[in-house]
Amino acid sequence: MITLLALPLALLSTQQGTGIAQRLAGRVLPQIASLVEELGTAASARGLPIDPLIEKAIEGSAKGIAPERVASALRLVAMQLDTAAAALRDGGLDSDTLAIAAGEFAITAGLSGSDITALARTGANAAALTVGLRVAGTLAALGVPPAEDIGLVSVAMRSGEPGSALLSLPANVQSAMAKGATPAQAAAGLARAAAAQAAHGPPPGRGGGHPHPPAPPHP
Amino acid sequence: MSGHELHPLIKQLLDGDITLADLPAELRAEGEAALRLLAGVDRTDVSMPAVTWRVMAQLERRRRRFLPWLLAPALAIAAALVVWLVPRTPAPASLVTVRFVLVAPDAKQVSLAGTFNQWDPQATPLVRAGATGVWTATLTLPAGQHQYAFVVDGARWVPDPGAPAIDDGFGRRNSVLTL
Repeated sequence: MITLLALPLALLSTQQGTGIAQRLAGRVLPQIASLVEELGTAASARGLPIDPLIEKAIEGSAKGIAPERVASALRLVAMQLDTAAAALRDGGLDSDTLAIAAGEFAITAGLSGSDITALARTGANAAALTVGLRVAGTLAALGVPPAEDIGLVSVAMRSGEPGSALLSLPANVQSAMAKGATPAQAAAGLARAAAAQAAHGPPPGRGGGHPHPPAPPHP
Repeated sequence: MSGHELHPLIKQLLDGDITLADLPAELRAEGEAALRLLAGVDRTDVSMPAVTWRVMAQLERRRRRFLPWLLAPALAIAAALVVWLVPRTPAPASLVTVRFVLVAPDAKQVSLAGTFNQWDPQATPLVRAGATGVWTATLTLPAGQHQYAFVVDGARWVPDPGAPAIDDGFGRRNSVLTL
């Protein structure tokens, strides 16, 4: 019985290792491939995604970075994946690899584990939270401070805005910045507007108007 | 067997608890006869191979009949583990067309490398638009988060000045595109 249960796990571990080796074959130095395989197998066993590790190794090699530096970067990615997964668990979301990868990106961009937990606690599903984390990371990359960043993305997620509205936040912040606002001011202004809209309902013509989808365009 | 009951002292004699000498005279003849009978009994082991074989075969059949029921839960759990653990193919992401622009009047060659092309500096060249030094490329990318940089003259990695950027972990900056 135990043998039967152990078999798929062993099979999966072998498959994972082979998959990593195949994806890195001819792209990175053998010692980097071995390190990715080691970190990737351990990460996978903990329910973490392995794509960020593979991508970082390929990126380092393509940019001609010294192997020692690539190794340090890989270990940092592995650590950040752990931090993101723990933060999501604290927020009530378990083992969603896409959300964890998005959380790792948000940490790289300057957010913390507690920021990720705060977004997870909005109660959004894994797919919406993944988009929220990517947007929050992008806003951080634009220079929006964590408090304003999480405030804006949380309001947008709680108001049930469609994904496209959430994805347009970085462009909206950039527009406000182009008009002279600081990243913090831009984000705070958008958060206030989103909160007011959530309190008063959608503007006329948006939401709840048409129970049926529009007819398809004529050929 | 007849209904004849043996005298308790004869039973003791047969059990070896007493000897003939211990019997009263009136029982000695009966005791000797009982001992003769006992001596005549064949005490070799009774062997019944056919019966043993039939009983064992029956037990084996029963074991075989129950084996699938014992293995079924283990097989079901193993199958569920495989289904749960093997990476699932993600649902196809929607595609978004994006135009990349870099102003580099002195460049002889500009390309785009990022997570969407395995960071291959040769995979996505930009096209120079006239003599203005504006280089462009239009790509259709899956929705999601992408990181990239321009590669100028095959050697210089330059972040997109019009896009947010993050530390690449190697002391440089990657541009970020969230679709």
